[in-house]
Amino acid sequence: MLAGKGFDKTYNLSGGIKAWNKELAVGPEDVGLHLFSGGTSAEEAIVTGFGLEAGLRDFYTSMQIRVTNASTKALFGMLADIEVLHQERLVKLYAEMTGAEIALQDFAKKIAEPAMEGGLTTEEYLQLYQTDLESEIEVLGLALAIEAQALDLYSRAAQHSKEHEGFRTVLLQIAEEERGHMARLSEYIDRHQGVR
Amino acid sequence: MKWMQFFTPVSSINWEEAHTLVQQYPIGDVTFLDVRQPKEYEKSHLPGAKLIPLGELEGRLDELDREKPIIIY
Repeated sequence: MLAGKGFDKTYNLSGGIKAWNKELAVGPEDVGLHLFSGGTSAEEAIVTGFGLEAGLRDFYTSMQIRVTNASTKALFGMLADIEVLHQERLVKLYAEMTGAEIALQDFAKKIAEPAMEGGLTTEEYLQLYQTDLESEIEVLGLALAIEAQALDLYSRAAQHSKEHEGFRTVLLQIAEEERGHMARLSEYIDRHQGVR
Repeated sequence: MKWMQFFTPVSSINWEEAHTLVQQYPIGDVTFLDVRQPKEYEKSHLPGAKLIPLGELEGRLDELDREKPIIIY
């Protein structure tokens, strides 16, 4: 249908979703988008993004403490550090948009934390998914699933943020880096299939 | 009779080629278009995929960019 209507760069994914050999996301198309669009200003959306990155970082830091394998520990440490870079980028964008210079710690305490009430703690999240924390493969699998959800949310939010080009660009960049995390986690899982 | 009148050919690509295509274009330029029903999307979808059920596609073409790649599943 599309090819006949002037969409020349259209491709059919052979085998459909069943043949997709990468992580999938779950949930309806609009889930989480209220956090990023609609009546939400770009500044408020940055605060939300900051909260999401804080959650991811908290997850990786918790996992880094729990796992015993040294290389898995290092991997989670590295992923946690990258989430901090994402937070720094969001704070910089916030400063550019509002004209107010603010340090990351101050941003977290004064702006992001008061705005991010409710939600699940990392502990509650782990309980919800009943992850076997003794199995590193299972923990890595959960990390992969969380990254897929983050990538999904950032990408969908970017699609809906066409009026704020700067913010859209940042969302897409972070989405792309979350995609990179997924690739790194997948490679790691492939290499350590025997890890317990 | 010309079959082209009825079926406009569309290239098929596998998941690896789709992944390569995403990397070849600027970030956010490639759209994954999910044409299944919302319930199926809810169960699982490619991260960031846009949902337009097949039955609604014709009326929602303006939501898609003709100049950019679209991978449909």
